[in-house]
Amino acid sequence: MSTSQQHLAAKPAAETPAATTASPVARRGGPRFRTMRRNALVFACQISVLAVLLLAWELATRQSALNAFLFGSPSAVWGFLVQMWKDGGLLTDTRVTAMETLLGFVIGNVLGTLIGLALWYSRFVSQVVQPFIVALGSIPIIALAPICIIWFGTGLASKVAMATLSVVVVALITAYKGAMSVDIDQINLMRTLGASKRHIFRKLIVPASLGDIFAGLKLTVGFALIGAIIGEFMSSSEGLGHAIFKAGSLYIIPKVFAALVVTIALALCLTYVVGKIEKMLTPWRPH
Amino acid sequence: MNRIAANRPAADFPDPPLVVSNLRKIFGEETDAPIEVIADLSLTLGHGEIVSIVGPSGCGKSTLLNLLCGLLPRTAGEVLWYGGASIGMPERVGYMLQKDLLLPWRTALRNVTLGLEIHKMPIKERTEKARKLLDTIGLTGFHDYYPSALSGGMRQRAALARTLANEPEVLLLDEPFAALDFQTKLILENDMAHLVRSQRRSLLLITHDVEEAVSLSDRVIVLTHRPARIRAIHEIDIDVDRTDMMAARESPKFNQYVRSIWSELEVRHNA
Repeated sequence: MSTSQQHLAAKPAAETPAATTASPVARRGGPRFRTMRRNALVFACQISVLAVLLLAWELATRQSALNAFLFGSPSAVWGFLVQMWKDGGLLTDTRVTAMETLLGFVIGNVLGTLIGLALWYSRFVSQVVQPFIVALGSIPIIALAPICIIWFGTGLASKVAMATLSVVVVALITAYKGAMSVDIDQINLMRTLGASKRHIFRKLIVPASLGDIFAGLKLTVGFALIGAIIGEFMSSSEGLGHAIFKAGSLYIIPKVFAALVVTIALALCLTYVVGKIEKMLTPWRPH
Repeated sequence: MNRIAANRPAADFPDPPLVVSNLRKIFGEETDAPIEVIADLSLTLGHGEIVSIVGPSGCGKSTLLNLLCGLLPRTAGEVLWYGGASIGMPERVGYMLQKDLLLPWRTALRNVTLGLEIHKMPIKERTEKARKLLDTIGLTGFHDYYPSALSGGMRQRAALARTLANEPEVLLLDEPFAALDFQTKLILENDMAHLVRSQRRSLLLITHDVEEAVSLSDRVIVLTHRPARIRAIHEIDIDVDRTDMMAARESPKFNQYVRSIWSELEVRHNA
């Protein structure tokens, strides 16, 4: 179809900007339209897979192939979601967990990224601290929960500490890796332009590390949530982890699933927001 | 020697921009397997001169450039910029590589202002200067494009504008046009010759492209295989407008120079 016409129309000029292919005009049959159609297809398939799984699950429990008591059923899960929404528990628990996750996510990433980038400054210091970082990173986060609760109490602070701890080492390592992988020629070029080490850090290392930092952010959204939920499992009076733990202890399986669904939705929301922020802060990168 | 160098009022800098004497570089001296990259190298770059250095691939041409800029420590020898022993990169020298090394998060314009920013020029002034420079170098209308949206030739032009923004009197270029197609390369060589000759800057060009070296330079220095020494020096005497690369290439002497330099390069067929 129109592809052959496009080829004919393309001028072989040596210095036309590469951007011409990424024309913002969405023509029918144009590359942009094709990507949109493909995305729609992918989304439709994802929805279908989910629908089939849910339907199979529902049918299996209705036909008693699965024990509804042990496995719940989509309709029962939905019932609990509605009930939790009505009694306000859903909103409170989500808000509490979201707050813990967000605070831990932000504190952990700010701390980790700052330290990771700062380590670029001194090869010596980074060599000295390397084993300590590896040691910290290898501690299973759940092992820290009892200490966190003893130190920070059973309220918000201990969960934030748990979320922070599960984020900080990963953030540190990704930021450090980003800073260290900057092209040496690029650093040399900055030096030939008269840049001091501070200039190089601010104008080159930090922006060049943003890609890795954002990769770390996307990864640590989930880690922060895990930290917060583990904290809630250990000791809490509210939050999604609390709801899961309580429902599980009482053998109300559909309610466990209901809280789990909300947890997943929360994780997806946070990841989506991080992606949006990344697009906003790195407009030069093709997304 | 060449006419332009003779015309230059060299009174402000009596010393030539660059004098290299008995430069030597060995990598990994402290290890069991040191690699001698540059054995013994001396050269002089005069005011307003264009000098090219050609050599077989892997002979340490890029190492040489980094030594001259002070980006690598030298094993022995002396590098004198304007008569003074310089350790780092002198202020009046601009440096450009085959890789354009544009910062992808900066537009063409803001890439050009980078060096001026480092030297604390006020924003209005540096923006205006960069805009003018981009216009003269043929990037009118592309000031606010990110490098990812520019073609290879345009990116290299932007890199050249960034190098020129600091108003260097000496340009050190390491295969700046090697990644470009023939037409674009020729156009950029013309522009480069014009920029350098008209403002009487000096240019040291490192290249593996013999034709580029001959058509552009006043002098071509041929290096040997590693460890590099000077194998031959050719004063290029082509009696045409030296800012016109096509005219230089059409001159009968051009082929003679190219042929004799080729034969000196000892191209190894098993390389």
